[in-house]
Parts: sequence; structure tokens; C-alpha cells
Amino acid sequence: MDKPTLDHLFSATYEELRRLAASVSHRDPNRTLNPTALVNEAYLKLADSLPSGSTSRLHFKRIAARAMRQVLVEAARRRNALKRGGDVAFVTLDDELDVAANTAQDLLDLDRALDDLAKMHPRQALMVECRFFGGLDIAETAELLEVSESTILRDWRAARAWLARQLRRAG
Amino acid sequence: MDAVRWERVQSLFHAALDHPETERRAFLEAACADDPDILLEVLELLDEDARVGSVLDRGLATIAHEVLELPEPAMRMFGPYRILRLLGEGGMGVVYLAEREDLGTRVAVKMLRDAALSPARRERFAVEQRTLAQLNHPSIARLYDAGTLPDGTPYIVMEYVEGEPLNAYCARHSATLPERLRLFMAACEAVQHAHRHAIIHRDIKPSNILVTEGGSVKLLDFGVAKHLERQDASADMTRTGLRPMTPAYAAPEQITGDPIGTYTDVYALGVVLYELLTGRLPYDLSDRTPGQAEREILEREPERPSVAARRSGSDRASGSLAPVSADPRAWADLDVLCMTAMHKDPQRRYRTVDALIRDVERFLTNRPLEARPDSWRYRMGKFLRRHQRPVAAAAVVLCAMIGLVVFYTVRLAAARDAAVAEAARARRIQQFTLSLFEGGDPTVGPSDTTRVLTLLERGVQEAHVLENEPAMKAEVLETLGEIFQKLGDFARAESLLVAALDLRRERLGADHPDVVPSLIALGALRQEQARYEEAERLVREALVLGRRHYLSEHPIMIEAMVTLGSVLQARGDFDGATAVLQDAIRLESARGPATPELASALNILAITRHYAGDYEAADSLNLRLLAMSRELYGERHPNVADDLINLGASQFERGRYSEAEELFRQALDIILGFHGPDHHKTASILTILGRALVAQARYDEADDLLRRALAVRERVFGQDHPHVASTLNELAQVAGARGDTELEEAYYRRMSDIYEAAHGTRHYLVGIAKSNLATVFMKRDQYEQAEALLREVVGLFIETLSADHMNTAIARVKLGRVLARRGQWAEAEVESRAGYEIIKAQADPSSNWLRFVRGDLVEAYEALGRPEEAARFRAELVATAP
Repeated sequence: MDKPTLDHLFSATYEELRRLAASVSHRDPNRTLNPTALVNEAYLKLADSLPSGSTSRLHFKRIAARAMRQVLVEAARRRNALKRGGDVAFVTLDDELDVAANTAQDLLDLDRALDDLAKMHPRQALMVECRFFGGLDIAETAELLEVSESTILRDWRAARAWLARQLRRAG
Repeated sequence: MDAVRWERVQSLFHAALDHPETERRAFLEAACADDPDILLEVLELLDEDARVGSVLDRGLATIAHEVLELPEPAMRMFGPYRILRLLGEGGMGVVYLAEREDLGTRVAVKMLRDAALSPARRERFAVEQRTLAQLNHPSIARLYDAGTLPDGTPYIVMEYVEGEPLNAYCARHSATLPERLRLFMAACEAVQHAHRHAIIHRDIKPSNILVTEGGSVKLLDFGVAKHLERQDASADMTRTGLRPMTPAYAAPEQITGDPIGTYTDVYALGVVLYELLTGRLPYDLSDRTPGQAEREILEREPERPSVAARRSGSDRASGSLAPVSADPRAWADLDVLCMTAMHKDPQRRYRTVDALIRDVERFLTNRPLEARPDSWRYRMGKFLRRHQRPVAAAAVVLCAMIGLVVFYTVRLAAARDAAVAEAARARRIQQFTLSLFEGGDPTVGPSDTTRVLTLLERGVQEAHVLENEPAMKAEVLETLGEIFQKLGDFARAESLLVAALDLRRERLGADHPDVVPSLIALGALRQEQARYEEAERLVREALVLGRRHYLSEHPIMIEAMVTLGSVLQARGDFDGATAVLQDAIRLESARGPATPELASALNILAITRHYAGDYEAADSLNLRLLAMSRELYGERHPNVADDLINLGASQFERGRYSEAEELFRQALDIILGFHGPDHHKTASILTILGRALVAQARYDEADDLLRRALAVRERVFGQDHPHVASTLNELAQVAGARGDTELEEAYYRRMSDIYEAAHGTRHYLVGIAKSNLATVFMKRDQYEQAEALLREVVGLFIETLSADHMNTAIARVKLGRVLARRGQWAEAEVESRAGYEIIKAQADPSSNWLRFVRGDLVEAYEALGRPEEAARFRAELVATAP
């Protein structure tokens, strides 16, 4: 992918994430609420800059999942910095903010744990990224990673348990 | 942990899971006897497996919400503005309510979050600002101010609209059908205002249409609007593929990446209307894969609003918008209104938002709608629409230039649709034709002419099965014949139309009223085949037969008269054509002040008067036509542009170039708004306009327009298409007029090459390019080259056109002059004289070519010592001096 395309991809992903985030607070029935739809919408916006075919579609989703992970982790980092003494004047101590701060830390921990998982089992790390950040379903993930659906199910269960354990240790 | 150990942990983990919960520990202890660490590890994982609650188990939406949501703007105070609270947020930016401290007024401030992330987003934000600055309408939120915060965050300050989304407002007020429609029309008017400024909104949806407590409507969020004329970044964005939209409201062309136009907004307005009427969206795209979502939007016909409303009535979520209640007849109209706005084919939608508004008004005042549901003929012929009939070829063959062809959509087709729809057989025929297109193969969607031809062939095969139903079979054969005719396959058309006529005569009798349309159809074909005598005979026969069965104002009779008028015009019988067309117009006018049939008759009459040299009459007819087209199709419809072009062509013809220019510019404005800058139709008008500028010696402007036209045509048709060649011809003339013969020569050479590649060397268009090239050599006194070229051209014209053709004459006149310049007077006289005789038989006496050749002949006869003949042509010259 060339640079402008990547820029657009990134913008689209970022904006879809923003919309997704906003949908939680607004409960607007016209907005879609799950990451599957989110990636789909981003895909629709970018479809004609990509080669056609289901492979490229999955390829796109994989990149979108990576972009979402990056956007969220970036945001979590900024949020953490804010908590640790950014512009204190604006930080009000309400519950929601505390929850948000915890979530930010969780995301950073998850990011690190995923990197660790990638060292032990790269395919599983990619699988988690695609499913969790990109909203790919089992069938799509299986097709992308060229394994059976039952393998994905097994891998997911093990990876999920392992990541949860890492997060608990970190927290 | 390394990969090997992880494999072992996993396999123990899965093995343990295969055991009943109570036995797992025992199993693991046995299996991990050698390695207590691994036992601990697997037990921890099993423990996690049974729990829920890590970040992985929470929805990404919630996480994004918590992490991305910065509770405060980057600054609370900037300039005179003080941020009060968050109003809303979208992908692009976040909107705050703010107060202008010095004035105490409330405003909305939109900020682009994370502006540093992407240049594309910054550019889009800037485009939104420019767009808003252009618009000034009570239903569009106004732009007050714009700037950048110290941290680089761009912001715009807009009118604060205190209101709620259109559908929420309607739900809360339990708005009635007329109330909803009036709000909808107000939104339409705001969109129409933007369209007048060549701005397409591209993201129309209820949440961007706010209604204030007082009931006034405001259209918001031009964040992804596109300017039709400006080459801004949003255009660039469209090219590289980022197509901002909300899928539920996205038009098919937004999915496929086809050109976006004002029709794209018409579609979205259709979806908004659908939602207002039914309380639900036409397509439920949540949880669809991209492929499914695309197919839904591109292929599936949504449930008709009447049906969707019935369904909504029963399974609607509380608090959501209730469907409107209306009687079945009102629903029938609402279905047509909505489905016309939302038609998958942009050409079948309301052509303008104005037209949509007018139909809503008609509905509210119980008048019949302009929109008509798709007819079976439409479904069958929808891929043939590109085949338009060239008329009003207003440019005279000066310097053997390629005629200016103004395209005019065949408006007759629409009228016939209506007539056929009334016929009792329509439904059966519809099923028959639709089955042709569906034909068992789900992927069949005729997308090109070839595919359509295949389907038509299949239709011809299947039509023969209808032996027991001759009436229907004849009708099918006739329809297929007319379609082949439109495709330019006259041989196939002929065999089908003749078969239809024979079948009707044989089964129904030669005197049966149904024979009349067959005669008309075959007559129209004969005209296109240039078999005018036969055409006239057939249509007159149709009229004679028709008079025995129909009243003279019957649509079939009017069609016959209009066809006869057209045939007579083609034969050059302008008076006869005028008489019959005037009769047809008088009869048709009684049916209504503006019908497509009337427009068609007026158009043919206008062209007839134009050819007859009666420009005044042509003008007044064209003006009437223009008013009618505006009434029928709205201010900014391509048909209106066609009428403007016809008017302009008539002005051009009379040497009123600046008037012509003005009319062409109006047409260009419409076509740009409708088709955008990259459309072949736009290129056609640029070319015509360029010619009007050349006539005024404004070569720089002409050159600029023609180059734009050239670029569009190269893009649309490819570098080597004949349409590109005709623009090259114009450019060459500009170059010639400016004295740049090098460039002129280069253009003509490329033109010639294109025609040779497209049509082969023995084609008259190649001759025209070479004849023009010869003129360049003549200007440079390169007579040897000019002579060789012109001799070739004369032979080519005689072979491909005829010895008496005007083009042959012009080439011979040119050849005569070249020979004279070389001192070969005897030969020169032969060519000039031959050219003279041909032109004299055809053109009017004031023709420039006649003056040109008379001068040459005077010179030749004097050089040859034949003073009487010289005197004769000198006298003619004097007599015809302008």
C-alpha cells in the first residue's frame, strides 16, 4: 500500500473508532455498535483503493485491526500521561474517569502481553489482534490464518486465558 | 516462556478441559509429575478460563469510548469564546457549545481532534470550512469564524442549533404525515441550496438534520461535502478511494466508486424519507459483512415503504419513530416517491432535489406525481440509454469540419412506456421480459451492450415460443426490434419489425388497429436507414389506416404525425414537415401544457425551422421547449441544457456569438452540476463553448476550454477514441488561428491517426483530417505536399461518400487552388469548376465556398485566356457580394 492510501486507511480507522466510542455514550440507534460493523464500514470506505477479492478484503481487515490497536494504545498512553501530571486543572475526579484510567492501563498491559505472546506463538497473537481489535469472526480468522475453525477456537481459548493471566499479574 | 514450553502448556490445558471439572486436578498432577511449575501454570490458565472480566471480555466499543474520550477540550477559553459543554462528536471532530463572551451569544465550536495525525483529515476540515463559508441559507447552520488553537487544533465557529434529529423530533411530537413531509421538504430545500452552489453534501442522514423546538430545520455537517467544480482535496480523496459516507444512507455509486453527483444526495434524501415514513431503514446493515452490505445496497430492492410500514407497526422498539398512517392509494404514491428518489440507477432518480420537492408538494395537494414506477420497457432498455439520437446538428460543414452533434434524448420512449403500461397485456409481457434478464443465472446483470445483445438474442428465440399468443408475440418482437434499432443494428431491427408487422396483418387482418403501431415503428426504422421514400409511404399508410379506427387526438395518431414530420424533415420537405408537426402540436397541447410527447414534437419542429433557415421560429419554439423542460424536469436537468444548446446553436448560426456563448455557459453550468467535470457530456459542451469563443477570436480562452475537453475525453474514452479526434480538430483550428502551424499540423496528424486506427484508412473521416492537414501545407506554401494529400482525399471522398458530396467538392476546390499556385492552370480549372458545380447544386448562394471558388475560377480563366468565362464568374462574385 502506498503512503496516501495508508494515510486514508489510518484516518478512516481512526474516525470509525471515534464514532464507535461516541456510540456508547449516545446510544444513537443509527450508529453501529460492534467492531465487526466498524471494520466493515472502514472497509467500504476504502474498498476501491484495494485490489478486489476476498483475500484483499481479509488483508485489509488485518491492517485495520493493527491500526485500531495502534490508535487505542496511543490514546491509552496519552491518557496515562495525563493522569500522571499532565494538565491537572482539567482532571475532575469522577468515577468514570477512574474507570477510564484503569482501562487505559489494561490496554497498555494487553499490548505488552500481546507482544510477548507473539514471541511464543506469532499466529495466536495475530489471531487475537484480528478478533479483538478487528472484529473478524471465526471463519474469517481461520481463512486469513489458513487454519481450521476448530484450531482457531482452541487457540483463542488458550490465548485468552494466558493473556488474562498476564493482565492480572500486571495489574 | 518459550514456544516449546507454551505448546506443552496448551496441550495440557486442552487435555484438562476434556476432563470433567472434578477430575482435572488429578489428571494434571499425574501428567505434570515431572514439572510442578507447569502444573501451576496450567492451573492458573484453567482458573482464568472460568472467569470473565478481563479487558478482552469487554466490548471494543466500551474500551474505545473510555480511552478515546477526552472529557475536556484542549482549551476552555480562546479568543472571545468560552467552552460551555460538549454537544456531540463524530469521526471528524468534536463539537462544543460555547459562549461568545463579548456578545453573550451562543455558538457551536467544532474542533478537529488529533489534527496532527493525518494531513487528509486536516484538508477535509479545511474544505468543510470553505464550504460553509459559501452557503447562506436559513436552513443551513452558518459559519461565523475559524482559526487554529495554539496547540495546532483547527476549529470552526458555527451557528448553534438547539434542536434534535429529524426522526427523533418526529417521534417525540408524533408528527403526522403532512408534518413529516413539510419538515422533509425544508431539509430538501437546504440541500438544493447547496447544489446551486455546486456543493454535494454526501452525508445526509437524520442526525445531520436538526429540528428546533420552533419547528425550523437546519442541515448540518458539511464535513465530507464535495465541491463539484473545485479541484480540492476531497476530489483527490475520492480518487484514492476514501469515500466518506454512512453506509445505511450511502448510494450505490458511493459503494462502487462511480462518479458522485447531486443525484447522490437525492438518494440519501430518499432514505431519510423512507425512514420518516416507515420508522425503519431500507436496509439493515448491522452485522453484515462488507460483501453482504455492498450486495444489499447494490442489488437488493428494499421493501416498499408501504410494506415496511406495516411490519414496523408490529415489531417497533418503544420510543422509536412510528410509521405514518395513510390510505392505500396514498401509500401507492408514497412508494413511488420514495423508490424514485432511492432508485439504484442515478439516471432514474429525481433529476434534481427540486423535482423531488415538487412531487412531495404534488402529493400533499393531491395532484398526480411526476415520477412513474419503472416500466418493463425501462427494465429492458435501461442499459441502452447511452444511445441517444443526434439531432440539431447545427454546425454547417465549414472547412469540412466535423459536425457539431448535439444529443437529444429520445423523449418519445417515455410516452410509449405509459401507453404500454396501460395495456392489458403489460403484466404478462413484463414477466416475459424480466425472465429474460433473470434467466436462472443470478449473476446476470447486463452491464454492457454485448451482454444485452446476448439477452436480446435469447429474447428473440423465446418469442417464437409464443405461437399461441400472436398479439403478445408481435408486441415482443416489436419491442426487441426497437431496441436493436437503438443499438444501431438495423438489419436485426428490420427482420423483427417486419416479422411483427406480418404477424399482425396475418393474424389480425390488414385493417386491424394494432397494425398501425407496427407501420409507424417500421417507418421510423426506414428513416434511420435513410430509406425516406419507403419511410414516408409506411407512415402515411399508418395514418390512413389509423383514421378509420382512432380519433385524431389519439396518442397513436399523434405519434404517427410526429414520425411523419420527422421523415419529411429528413427528406428536406420543410414545409410539409412544418404543417404536419403543427397539427400534432395543436392536438397534443389539448392533452396538457407540458407532456414529453409535446416536447418531442416541438423539438422536431424547431429543428425543421432551423434547417429551413427560419431562425426566429426555431428560437421561439426552443424557448417554449425550454420553459416546458424546466416545468417537466426542473431547472437544472440535462434536458434543459439540451434546449439551451439548441438555442445557442441558432444564435451561433446567425453570427451572434456572444449570445450563443452565454447560452452555452448556462448549459455547461447545469451539466457540470449534474454530471460533474469528468463527464463526456461536459466535454461536449466545453467543445461547443470553445467554438463560440473561437468565433469571437478569443483564442486563449478557447484553447483552455478545449484542452480541458480533450483531457476529459481522453480520460473517458481513451487516447485513441474518435471522440478525442473531434476535439483535436477544434484545437487545431485554434492553433491555426493563432498562427502556430506546427501545433496545428501535429493536431491534425494525431486526428488522422486516430481515425485510421478506429475506422481503417478508407474512411471519410480520415479524409477530413487529411483535407484539413492539406490546408496547413497550403498556408505554408508547401504546395507539393498539399497536392499529393488532396488528390488522395478527393479519391477517398468519391469512394466513401460520393462524387457529388459537399466534402468532395471542398477537397476539389482546395486542390484547384493548389494547382493554380503551382501554375497548372488547366488542371486547376477542371478541379475548381467541378467543385463549383457540386456546391452550387447544394449550398445556398451566399456560401463562403462559392465565393472562394468563384475567385479562383476568375483567376484561372484569365490565366488560360478565356475572358468570357472569367467575366461570368466576376459578375457572379459581384452579384453575391455580402
